[in-house]
Amino acid sequence: MADTKIAIIGAGPGGYVAAIRAAQLGAKVTVIEDVEVGGTCLNRGCIPTKTLVATTEVYEKIKEAASFGIELEGGARVNVPKVMERQGKVIGTLVKGIRGLFKMHGIELIEGRGAFVDNRTIEVTPKGGGDKVTVKADKVIIATGSRPAEIPTFPFDHEKIISSDDAICFKEVPRRILIVGAGVIGCEFACIFKGMGAEEVTMVELLPRCLTTEDADISELMAKELKKKKIKLITNSKIEKVAVNADGTVTSFIEGGTEIVSDQVLVSIGRALNTQGLNLDKAGVNLGKRGEIAVNEYLETSAPGIYGIGDVIGGILLAHVASAEGLVAVENIMHGNVRKMDYRVVPAGVFTIPEIGSVGLREHEAHAKGIKIKVGKFQMRGLGKAQAMNELAGMVKVIADADTDKVLGVHIMGAHSTDFIHEAAIAMALGATTKQVAETIHSHPTLAESVMEAMEDVHGMAVHVPPQK
Amino acid sequence: MNPDNLKYHKEHSWVKVDGNRVTIGITDYAQESLGDIVYMDLPEADSSVEVDGEIGEIESTKATSSVISPITGTIVKVNDALEDAPETINEDPYGKGWIVVVEMDNASELGGLMDAEEYAKFVEDNK
Repeated sequence: MADTKIAIIGAGPGGYVAAIRAAQLGAKVTVIEDVEVGGTCLNRGCIPTKTLVATTEVYEKIKEAASFGIELEGGARVNVPKVMERQGKVIGTLVKGIRGLFKMHGIELIEGRGAFVDNRTIEVTPKGGGDKVTVKADKVIIATGSRPAEIPTFPFDHEKIISSDDAICFKEVPRRILIVGAGVIGCEFACIFKGMGAEEVTMVELLPRCLTTEDADISELMAKELKKKKIKLITNSKIEKVAVNADGTVTSFIEGGTEIVSDQVLVSIGRALNTQGLNLDKAGVNLGKRGEIAVNEYLETSAPGIYGIGDVIGGILLAHVASAEGLVAVENIMHGNVRKMDYRVVPAGVFTIPEIGSVGLREHEAHAKGIKIKVGKFQMRGLGKAQAMNELAGMVKVIADADTDKVLGVHIMGAHSTDFIHEAAIAMALGATTKQVAETIHSHPTLAESVMEAMEDVHGMAVHVPPQK
Repeated sequence: MNPDNLKYHKEHSWVKVDGNRVTIGITDYAQESLGDIVYMDLPEADSSVEVDGEIGEIESTKATSSVISPITGTIVKVNDALEDAPETINEDPYGKGWIVVVEMDNASELGGLMDAEEYAKFVEDNK
């Protein structure tokens, strides 16, 4: 179908990956993007925060230099303008990279706001002004993503009450910050701000634990790490009101009476889906129960020939899931609906310090499904590599099917865990048992050995764990 | 080796009795087994502890370990100095490395603890 014209609304990790795959398969592709290629991930999310985490990690290592036998002459300090300059450079390089790939693949990029005229026609209002552009396509992919959700009683003013979009770029490290929501984004920013020198970082979470999307043991470990960093975590609490005071401070009122004064409040409670302004009704695209663009297993919407991918379809709000959905949607467009989206193995990373890498079932999910499980654990500090690197915090937890011994979930907290979780993802994708993973030789000394030991611990056979009495 | 004026719990914590209050810490055997202590998760003052329950958690380079309370009561003082200098527990486990002071609910619980000689034998027998 070499002459298939595909229009893609949104050039985030969903849209731009779909565009390149479509071009590789011979389609004629037009991408419509109203802010910048790379979307939230590249410009306001994943990438900018990782540059901040990198700076924080270097700063924290410098503070520990003496324990590594390094003597510093004079201290170190965080130069925020230089940190932001580096962030800008990294983002710029990656944006250029995507724009370059678009050019090399002959992908047309129209920069502006797109809205449906009918199910095969999109009208684009250009970013820089000027006449509207009409795009006609054989098939369409909607990849408009999401934006930070705000709390109506205290909406963003982008100065004192900020979103993650605002938080990635600051003029100076806030002295005191209150973070609403102790999920992934909240915890990452807590580690960044405290690590860079904020005096007071307080997190207020509605639910009983932080990181509710992770396994409960991981949440518990993270709570301990946060306490070690002197980050205050208040769970089971709701903020009733936030008042910006005349002197520039902000007072947050927690249900029950506690008042916390800070210099800023970061609201990181979740994401709102970008379905507004698209004229979806003109295309016959229906929304689902949670306001998401409803799609079937082939990622096709209620309007045949129009597909939805990424955050805007609800589901799992992760950049790599959006990209995977983009690849599936394009394959379905080019070859007829042949591939169903498979969500069985979706690894996730939390870039706190220490990191968390997880894939598969959390223990409570396994119990809820009534699956009989066996659990294996291994403390990072039991590893030679962890000791040598002085990265002692963390552990690996393996959840296995008690009957088949298949690996159902792996949860890791520790240095580089967002990388070596993928061994577990492959194991799960291939239906491996804990025995198969344990019998795979792991290089010594590496952090990955912790996975091997935890797999052995499922059967009480970890070599480097003292025998249970 | 283990001070005579203290009483000992099988989970390697000690108490120093002063009227209805006790100071609690971990023994020399415990700190030695743990290795270099890098952090102590201290409880809050005014919180309660139960006999055989956890007071807090010690993190060393080798392991994490619960500090078990020898008696039931309310914490009246916490050794906050341990926050920035947890290694004090290694250096002086019976002195400056004290962890909490507790107001006892039931002083008769002291009867269930060992004296220095019994504790020394207990440690030997379980090595």
